[in-house]
Amino acid sequence: MDLLSRQGLRTDGRRSDELRRISCKMGVFNQPDGSAYLEQGNTKVLAAVYGPHEIRVNRSKAPNDCAVINCQYSMATFSRSERKRRPRDNKSAELTVHLKQAMTTAIKTDLYPKSQIDIFVEVLQSDGGNYSVCVNAATLALIDAGIAMEEFVISCTSSLANGEVPLVDISHLEETLGGPSITVAILPISGKIAMLETSQRMHINHVEPVLTEAMRGCRYIYDTLNKTIKKHYEEIGGALNWGTEEYNI
Amino acid sequence: MSLVSLNEGEKVYIIHGVEENFRCDGRSRQDYRPLELEMDIVSNANGSARLRLANSDILVCVKVEIDTPLPETPNDGKIEYFVDCSANATPTFEGRGGEQLAAELSRFLSLAHCPVFNLSKLCIVSGQSCWKLFVDVLILECGGNLFDAVSLAAKAALCNTSLPNIVGTYEDGKNIDLQISDDPFDTKPLDARDLPVLVSLCKIGNNYVADPTIEEEICGAGCIVISVTPKGKVSAVLKKGAGSFMPDTLNEIIMSGSQIGVLLNKALEETITKDMSSNVCKQRFGFLK
Amino acid sequence: MNISISLASKKTRHGILKPTSNPPVIFTPGEKIRDEAGFMRGHGTYVSAGSLKATVAGVEQNINRLVTVSPLRCRYNGEIGDVVIGRITELVHKRWKVDLNARLDAVLLLTSIQLPGGELRRRGMEDEQSMRNYLSEGDLISAEVHSIFADGSLSLHMRSLKYGKLGQGVLIKVQSSLIKRSKNHFHNLTVGISIILGNNGYIWIEPTSNDNKDLVGLEDEFEQVVDIGDRQTISRVRNVILALSYYKMLIYDTSIQFALEESKKYTVSDLLTAEACYDIANLTRHRLQIMDE
Repeated sequence: MDLLSRQGLRTDGRRSDELRRISCKMGVFNQPDGSAYLEQGNTKVLAAVYGPHEIRVNRSKAPNDCAVINCQYSMATFSRSERKRRPRDNKSAELTVHLKQAMTTAIKTDLYPKSQIDIFVEVLQSDGGNYSVCVNAATLALIDAGIAMEEFVISCTSSLANGEVPLVDISHLEETLGGPSITVAILPISGKIAMLETSQRMHINHVEPVLTEAMRGCRYIYDTLNKTIKKHYEEIGGALNWGTEEYNI
Repeated sequence: MSLVSLNEGEKVYIIHGVEENFRCDGRSRQDYRPLELEMDIVSNANGSARLRLANSDILVCVKVEIDTPLPETPNDGKIEYFVDCSANATPTFEGRGGEQLAAELSRFLSLAHCPVFNLSKLCIVSGQSCWKLFVDVLILECGGNLFDAVSLAAKAALCNTSLPNIVGTYEDGKNIDLQISDDPFDTKPLDARDLPVLVSLCKIGNNYVADPTIEEEICGAGCIVISVTPKGKVSAVLKKGAGSFMPDTLNEIIMSGSQIGVLLNKALEETITKDMSSNVCKQRFGFLK
Repeated sequence: MNISISLASKKTRHGILKPTSNPPVIFTPGEKIRDEAGFMRGHGTYVSAGSLKATVAGVEQNINRLVTVSPLRCRYNGEIGDVVIGRITELVHKRWKVDLNARLDAVLLLTSIQLPGGELRRRGMEDEQSMRNYLSEGDLISAEVHSIFADGSLSLHMRSLKYGKLGQGVLIKVQSSLIKRSKNHFHNLTVGISIILGNNGYIWIEPTSNDNKDLVGLEDEFEQVVDIGDRQTISRVRNVILALSYYKMLIYDTSIQFALEESKKYTVSDLLTAEACYDIANLTRHRLQIMDE
């Protein structure tokens, strides 16, 4: 099966440089300090942030001058088309570590000494690029929780079709059938790379175009999410006087 | 859940309130908080439902697979319940923190459904193949009264489930090859309207309340969970929490639980019917609203 | 028996009220606010490559040359003099740890409370041993922020008659940014109910006591039963405040009073429904706007 038709269309009808539809909502739940729901195509993720709060476990081992970031990546048993037996396995443990690394690069942990920040992501429906969508959802939840960050962390996955054309924001089908793929998480304004992973061996000449395409995808996602956040704040901020009330007495 | 604690004054206030039949949020002892249901929100499942009961948020998905029946029950299909407490709900569920609660929920749910659910409906070829239903429950937020919320969501998801039609069978010696219809709309609905729902009654002081909040659950001296069918039959009873009950009160609680259960079933039935009748141009919101 | 199950798709989008004024510019993390030259970095900002950038999403505020950005929602950041409501979580050597929904638990020193038997008294071993008799785990207190430690945790005191242990009543939790700072956080509503609006987002509602509070306020009274009338008002106030908080409206005496007046057409348990909450929030905001003009 060709990933790219002769007309230049992918299996789901997108062009090679086209991303899936993004829709999101911040503040889905009341109990967490911050929460967000993000859909990129058919990949749907819920993220919740608790904290910063007192460190609950291993208090003695915790550093004294910065915050402890605690993550959990979990995939609902029904999230894929074939049922998963357990929501958390070795693969999700690995992604938990990657998520923690990517988020730690952006969070200003030195502002929160002796505290802990919990980031929990739950994949409700999986259709490729799970890790990337989780990173993006976690960023939204952190912003909703009012936690200081240097920048957004935005992630995107892209791969190579027919051995030459880079595909951005790949779906599950393209993940399984396609060639090598790169997942990258960046800080979109400065362009710094926070996390990078390749799925399999890849020719050095291909790295550059695929990576460029992934980073272009990240910037597009950043623009979309940034707009949504501003819109959300405009909607809810009015009744609150945009949090500036205390200075107007 | 352990994040909530109460001092004596708050407990006394709640207990007195229950005695007066006027609870902290203004409900009487038998009232439920407003519930909200949405069906068919996970596209890659055979049936799904999301239920919100105040702050409790439950997502249930049903998936079907083809399996071979057990040798002792060749004419029956299989059904399996799995509950996962997401860490999103509370940090205490992180890792294996929610497993005990999840095990209690899934075990009692299967116990409650077992006497009512007619597994022979899931049979395809006797002794050879049958449907296996996986009922996966995901708890996304806890606001008390998880048992009732989970059972309502599970029943709604099962009512929403449809089984693919089998268009042909080919016998190849001993093996039977099944051909499932390619058309995703060529399905037959699974009839689950007879399934019971769970009603938790929490004993506070000398009275008992329906739909307890987390605070009331802490105050209470124990809880009786009753599984009630739409006809008012009781299919299972569970006592949870510390504290003990006199046999007389237990009878009384079960009686009034079955009355509440009938109403709860009726309310769910009406909502599901309404959802099905408004099938045209239905828009899914899920978590976006 | 009142059971209602509604369909989510039937619900109109109740999450937000209609915007009234033109929103100001909102900055998100990493966005440049202005050049650094001539300005000072405040909360919610950092300096990078000669410009001030935001670390949280919010609106820029300037006090002279100080630039700050405050998020709409975050954990409670204490300021000296704030009235707070907290729950005792732990007893450690000569002090109580108090949960305030802040980043770190606050500390209440044994020396920061008024002990029974008069103002001037040395705290001896006996007091230290009977600390649990005064306040134990799970107890709720109202107190004032006394000082802020270097690591950001707060030290509280209860050395005034208005502070003390809280008895029978209802606690509700809202975001700390929703509590409007004002001179007085203790209000006796005309309906015979007292509320304490803790700056940390914890709100305490109790029946107004007629007799003067005993000296220390560390004693418990459980014999007394709150009568049904007060109980109904307390629940009404509770539901109304939750409705205001759902629509992210500032909570202070006037907004609560207006919302209470608007809620009269509903029964207390009706106030739990989304429709009633939306209606009340909308009407209250309308009245607040008229009052402002």
